[in-house]
Amino acid sequence: MTSTPTAGARPDEVRRHNRTALLRRLHVDGPCTRAALATELGLNRSTIKALVDGLAESGVVEERVPRARSGAGRPSLLVLPQPLAAVVLAVDIRVEQVAIALVGLGGQMLGRDSWNLRGRAGEPDEVITRVIESTRVLAEELKVAPVAAGISVPGVVRRRDGFVHEAPNLKWTGVPLGDRLTAAFGFPVRVANDAEIAALAEHLRGAARGSLDAVYVSADVGVGGGVISDGSTLRGTAGYVGELGHMVINPAGRPCYCGSRGCWETEVGELALCRALDLPTPSPRGRIVAELRALTPDHIPVVLGEFTHWLATGLITIVNAFGPELVVLGDLFTALPPQVVTEVAATVSRRSLVSRAIGGTRLLTSTMGTDVKLTGAAELAFEPVLHTV
Amino acid sequence: MSEPILELTGLNKSFGPVHVLHDVDFTVRAGEVTALVGDNGAGKSTLVKCVAGIHSMDSGSVSFNGERVGISGPGDAARLGIEVVYQDLALADNLDIVQNMFLGRERGSGWLLDEAAMEQAARETLASLSVRTVKSVRTLVSALSGGQRQTVAIAKSVLWESKVVLLDEPTAALGVAQTRQVLDLVRRLAQQGLGVVLISHNMADVFSVADRISTLYLGRMVADVATRDVTHAQVVELITAGRSGDLGLARPENATV
Repeated sequence: MTSTPTAGARPDEVRRHNRTALLRRLHVDGPCTRAALATELGLNRSTIKALVDGLAESGVVEERVPRARSGAGRPSLLVLPQPLAAVVLAVDIRVEQVAIALVGLGGQMLGRDSWNLRGRAGEPDEVITRVIESTRVLAEELKVAPVAAGISVPGVVRRRDGFVHEAPNLKWTGVPLGDRLTAAFGFPVRVANDAEIAALAEHLRGAARGSLDAVYVSADVGVGGGVISDGSTLRGTAGYVGELGHMVINPAGRPCYCGSRGCWETEVGELALCRALDLPTPSPRGRIVAELRALTPDHIPVVLGEFTHWLATGLITIVNAFGPELVVLGDLFTALPPQVVTEVAATVSRRSLVSRAIGGTRLLTSTMGTDVKLTGAAELAFEPVLHTV
Repeated sequence: MSEPILELTGLNKSFGPVHVLHDVDFTVRAGEVTALVGDNGAGKSTLVKCVAGIHSMDSGSVSFNGERVGISGPGDAARLGIEVVYQDLALADNLDIVQNMFLGRERGSGWLLDEAAMEQAARETLASLSVRTVKSVRTLVSALSGGQRQTVAIAKSVLWESKVVLLDEPTAALGVAQTRQVLDLVRRLAQQGLGVVLISHNMADVFSVADRISTLYLGRMVADVATRDVTHAQVVELITAGRSGDLGLARPENATV
């Protein structure tokens, strides 16, 4: 929204604003009848009609008579967003692999690709080249042209121009990722920290939907977090926030690459889980998932007791610091046995004073699986696009 | 660390006078993509067919999840949770996606099929694999592209809660973009904790998804290595010559006769 609060809004700005709001509603929550749109957006039916007609004319939405009728009278037309009206590129750069997807309006993944990062393949030049090439191949196959991109990076990123300061687990320092991809693609590219992106996805389409204060915590090789505070993403100066994995939690613990000792990530990250399960480090993700699934209930406290302790300890601090009503555990944490999650939730609500005060912070595991960052990256790309479609 | 999901030891197989597999050891671990590579005639497909119970083994033992088992027919393999996706796609063109996924294992009672439940399960399976490229689960398979057919064939193995999925050249007939989409699915299959075996001739494919590479050379298993420890060139050497540096067969001068 470009208008500043102090300036008055001209009618065309109001119209533009309503149009974006309507499109956002359709994009995030899916097809909807005109009548429901009018109720939800608080606009009168003729305004909705004018907006929908305009969008239908430019091919952004399609209208259809709903199959299931409710109530008497002429049925209200169902408005469906057209995926091909706006397609964005979502890129999820991880420590061991890169995944890309072309995502249409409404959030449908039209096509996807992924590859392993081993040895030289993980260098910035190689990753950038492969992302560009892979996008071209996918776009040609699907006969679409993306209009924007969102990139998730496990590291410290400057929001303004997508400059990656440090992505330690990737061994990247000072990579002008945003500028280089913008130059190559010729459309806007937004880059953000992976945990922040995942929090955005959970907030818009996942477990934290409709929740105003939520924290998303995820484990890959590194551990990160994103905070939704009062309905919007919490960002520090220039957008550097979210390194929850580097809270020092065990001063007598292992040294961390960040220069500190006993960071949370050294106790609850992927490597810690490999150690607990007696797997070689690093192990493929699937191996860890399979091992966790094979654990018997009696065995879980023996194998994961220490892990559970550190997970709960860190979460207590997070809940005390941010006071969320909901904490969503993502990525590798979703593979944890339900028993562990229940135990952690119980410990947090017993020992966190903030949780006690707000009547118990809920702890959920993400239902979006490994695609959460791709989904979030697509939403990051869609943010400015919805305004211009 | 638990036992490998599937372990073959000392497998031998002959077709008449032709000794196709010599004392082959082969291990599949849950959650990993194991690539099975080798030249034409190295015995890759024979090995897969032995595991699937299509060919009987002359000798050798099979352990599944640490327990000794016998596979004497495709039924045994299916009961253990071993599913094979063949190159030539065993899908019925005249049926839709749901019918194909439930072919031979339809749900329902007596005369009535529970179409709604089957459709629901098919849709959930595709969603769990984040397959959103297929418009409707009631599309006839004949109307799908090569990549989408592979997707359906692979999704079928997930629906039946298979533990091990063997893919025999799943991308041989596909274009670049479709190949990538199928490989992406293969990777996600392993990330869900299944043991995946990928037979492929394409080194780029192998390197982009496999965690381990097992190389067959003239019916012998010459190397089982982690992908991160080898280069393209080494694997090509193993395939064509059976050895590469310290890997593979012993050099003739060192071999004991």
